[in-house]
Amino acid sequence: MSNVNSVSFTVVLVLFLIVTVVGFAASRWRPAEDLLSLHQWGLGGRGFGSFISWFLLGGDIYTAYTFIAVPALVYATGAAGFYALSYSIMVFPIVFIFAPRLWSVARAHNWITPADFIRGRYGSRGLGLAVAATGILATMPYIALQLIGIESVLIVLGVNSSSSNAFVKDLPLIIAFIILAGYTYLAGLRAPAMIAFIKDTLVYVTIIVAVLYIPTRLGGWDHIFGAASAHMKAINPTTGKPNGSFIEEPAGEWAYATLALGSALALFMYPHVITGLLSTKRRDVIRRNLAALPAYTLVLGIIALFGYMALATPAVNAGVKAHGDNTQLSVPLLFQHLFPSWFAGIGYSAIIIGALVPAAIMSIAAANLFSRNIYKEFIRPNASAAEETHVARLASLVMKAGALVFALELSKTFSINLQLLGGLWILQTFPAILVGLYTRWFHRWALVIGWAAAMIWGTIEAWRTPGGSQKHFGTSSAPILGHVIYIGFAALVLNFAVSVVLTLIFRAIRLPAGNDETEPANYTYDPASEADAPVPAAAATQAP
Amino acid sequence: MAQSTPPARSPARLAAATVLLVIAIAGTLVVPIYARATPKLGAFPFFYWYQLIAVPVIAILAWISYLLLRTRPAPAPDPANGEGASS
Repeated sequence: MSNVNSVSFTVVLVLFLIVTVVGFAASRWRPAEDLLSLHQWGLGGRGFGSFISWFLLGGDIYTAYTFIAVPALVYATGAAGFYALSYSIMVFPIVFIFAPRLWSVARAHNWITPADFIRGRYGSRGLGLAVAATGILATMPYIALQLIGIESVLIVLGVNSSSSNAFVKDLPLIIAFIILAGYTYLAGLRAPAMIAFIKDTLVYVTIIVAVLYIPTRLGGWDHIFGAASAHMKAINPTTGKPNGSFIEEPAGEWAYATLALGSALALFMYPHVITGLLSTKRRDVIRRNLAALPAYTLVLGIIALFGYMALATPAVNAGVKAHGDNTQLSVPLLFQHLFPSWFAGIGYSAIIIGALVPAAIMSIAAANLFSRNIYKEFIRPNASAAEETHVARLASLVMKAGALVFALELSKTFSINLQLLGGLWILQTFPAILVGLYTRWFHRWALVIGWAAAMIWGTIEAWRTPGGSQKHFGTSSAPILGHVIYIGFAALVLNFAVSVVLTLIFRAIRLPAGNDETEPANYTYDPASEADAPVPAAAATQAP
Repeated sequence: MAQSTPPARSPARLAAATVLLVIAIAGTLVVPIYARATPKLGAFPFFYWYQLIAVPVIAILAWISYLLLRTRPAPAPDPANGEGASS
């Protein structure tokens, strides 16, 4: 620990302790009479109003990985990394249209997960299982990436590079995660909801100071953009091509647009985002929040520009090289070199706590899926509400332990590949969930086969795509039918094509379509007039 | 129980909200609109400032859509009650 900056480290430690106390205290916040039911532990009793939901959803969507990976991508490739801004601009109008319908139908039936909806809507346990499994599969590497975000801060802070023993080396990360697992187990969704408030305060303070202060240290925005432009145009000696592009080239426009749109459509399918949406108290709260959430997008845009600030700082470039071209370190290194130690500590804490909030929500969402749609559906159909909740709490621990193993044991590149695949996979639940909110036209088995075809084709295509120094899983886009486009988006088109053709066939041969539990009025259900009344009796779920 | 739909909105409001949201999505989906360096705003090339300005613009469009689509508290509380229990 010889090279640890004690001032930065102390700031990080104190803020982490505060968050720990708040996390455990959350279990006493608005205590529920029946904490032993899944909608209490896993959805915070569906009681979050506008104020809390705004922080919770922000914590969901803008994760530590965003704060690390987006500027890293801009640092490495230039304009292409800005797709993240374009994507999060598109998210809100898209989610704005669909989310209230999902909220209403889930509220009317007391459904907790997207797979609950699919099972009820299509009367298909198989399709429900496909959606649940995809959700869990896509969430696990996402949690692991939060850990990698924390790790990159710890590397710059100097706390995990001092020992050759792998366990001692990663001890700070392991301790942080055990504490996180503890309060998530106890308080459920209430813990990240309370911590999100602290997280965002730190993030906003860091960003505002950075955007005002860093350019003055680097000779103004002219110099920052000038350095970036020169670097992107320069020819990379190993590849013989320019380092990147400063303004998106026409050749990259399809990839840029499909990646942004595909990611925006996928976001709403992620279990943790749906958990955040369903935890809101009223239908109106969702739309009001989605209209106000773009404040975070502006922050994301500034964070993306951190990539260029890092590029304009010679000490950061030297640091990235010294760590084996690990571009993920560019933002923590930027803080280290341009901020005074104590403020760098604030910035590091914003990233670390920014990882804990989404990691908690993701593990809760995946645990809900496992307990409700796999354990209760296939293993113990007679499980009581208390048993279901108990299993979910245990599953959240398993999920985090799994993510920890992912982050520590697998190579970093592999985790990032998995995350790329996770986005591709989760996007394939779009036809079932989203179209299902409007029409029952698709046949359940057509959706299952379309999903499977897209999962298999997309995974193979991603595996076959080289990029950078990798032979497989090189980038998220590949040349398909004459344009370089996002593989997940191409797979979605295939998914739709297969589902449409097979639906026509299955309807022609009159294959049973399954029972639909929902009614048209469910999709606009809005118990606003009984806003403070409890959730419609938990008994309502037992019906099917 | 079919009565539990929120108060009907006028088709004109729905159409206006749809148009606003489509503009909001297309504004950043059509990349050729903004994949250029000029005109600059201060030191910011067009590609960068366009997307940053798009954020508040789209927030405003989304907020107007919210106001257009806002469901007022249902006047009669009773129809909604039958809903949850009946599923």
